[in-house]
Amino acid sequence: MKTCLIVDDSRVVRKVASRIVRDLGFAVTEASEGSEALDMCRRAMPDAVILDWNMPVMNGLDFVKALRREEGGKVPRVVFCSIENDAEHIQEAIRSGADEFIMKPFDADILESKFAEVGLI
Amino acid sequence: MQDTVFNALADLALSTTGQSIAPSKAYLMEARLAGIARREGFGTLDDLVHCLESRQNPVFRAEVAAALLSRDTWFFRDRGSLEFLMRTKLANALAASPSGRVRIWCAGGSTGQEAYSLAMLLEDDPLPGAKIEILSTDICKQATEKGRLGTYGHYEVQRGLPIQRLLQHFTRLDSGDWQASEALRSRVSFRTHNLIEPAGGLGKFEIILCRNVLSGMARPARVRLAESLANQLSAGGTILLAEGEALYGLTDRLEPSSDLRFGWVAAGTANARAITAA
Repeated sequence: MKTCLIVDDSRVVRKVASRIVRDLGFAVTEASEGSEALDMCRRAMPDAVILDWNMPVMNGLDFVKALRREEGGKVPRVVFCSIENDAEHIQEAIRSGADEFIMKPFDADILESKFAEVGLI
Repeated sequence: MQDTVFNALADLALSTTGQSIAPSKAYLMEARLAGIARREGFGTLDDLVHCLESRQNPVFRAEVAAALLSRDTWFFRDRGSLEFLMRTKLANALAASPSGRVRIWCAGGSTGQEAYSLAMLLEDDPLPGAKIEILSTDICKQATEKGRLGTYGHYEVQRGLPIQRLLQHFTRLDSGDWQASEALRSRVSFRTHNLIEPAGGLGKFEIILCRNVLSGMARPARVRLAESLANQLSAGGTILLAEGEALYGLTDRLEPSSDLRFGWVAAGTANARAITAA
């Protein structure tokens, strides 16, 4: 079973995303900020990461840059999921190593579409 | 919803658009007509139907009938078929066209995502010297007007459209919507057209996409549409339907393509082309 790590400081967003991703057939783990997520990736690299931008301790941008430097860190498909949805922010996320970008708010169709886009389903 | 209201609306959809709406889809009628009901000040669909029957206003009837149909569409729907169509069938059509002019028709193209998907493929992989016209038609005037503006909301641009293509071909407006680039919009034109009416005025097309329309139609309308597609298809042209749709038993002028899933060509040409290609 493929695995997905959901990184967001909002418990509600994690819960909603978890339900959608589980329905897509993924096993789900959760983290509330980037450094916690990075520790989890070092223990077991997931197939997918859904990543918020603004979080305490380590934000999404710093997380994805750090992840890509880790051994095996280029493997996970990283889908940013943020309210920072102007073109400049999106480009910065992609330049930093994200594979796709979801503009919040999102629904199941959008998440499924983005996962298909990066070859996860 | 009362049976009398459902029946009146279903009859309107059938007689005006050829679309058959099952009683199990009654809830969709309420959702699709909510905007018109609100605008016109109707408290219930019962009031709206009463007005339809008492006013006998053909423009209002057409608007309600169009609103009853699904407008659901998204960018790059069945992307594999679109890419194959543009890579092979378009190349064949161009090779057969001394002027380099090729016409593509998105029949029942709703708000234009399909047409703009084709335009993006052309922008990303330009064909020097080719003059490719893309026409998107829909029965719903509001849908074609939206397509002409090329402006899509937050949810629409996130269904099927890769983020890189969004950044490349769209601009974010202050409203938060995204608008297709001038280059894309100049490639696509929009017209209001009812698919069960004759389409001779639209001209001939080398490629016709008519997806997710036939499956909702009653048989007489499907027969009429199949004949219309055959009429508008240029010699050597290709029609692309959606998964699960077919023209068997509707016309003897078209047959399945030998190399494109859900593709249809003029009868008697599919095997001939396959032999030529081999």
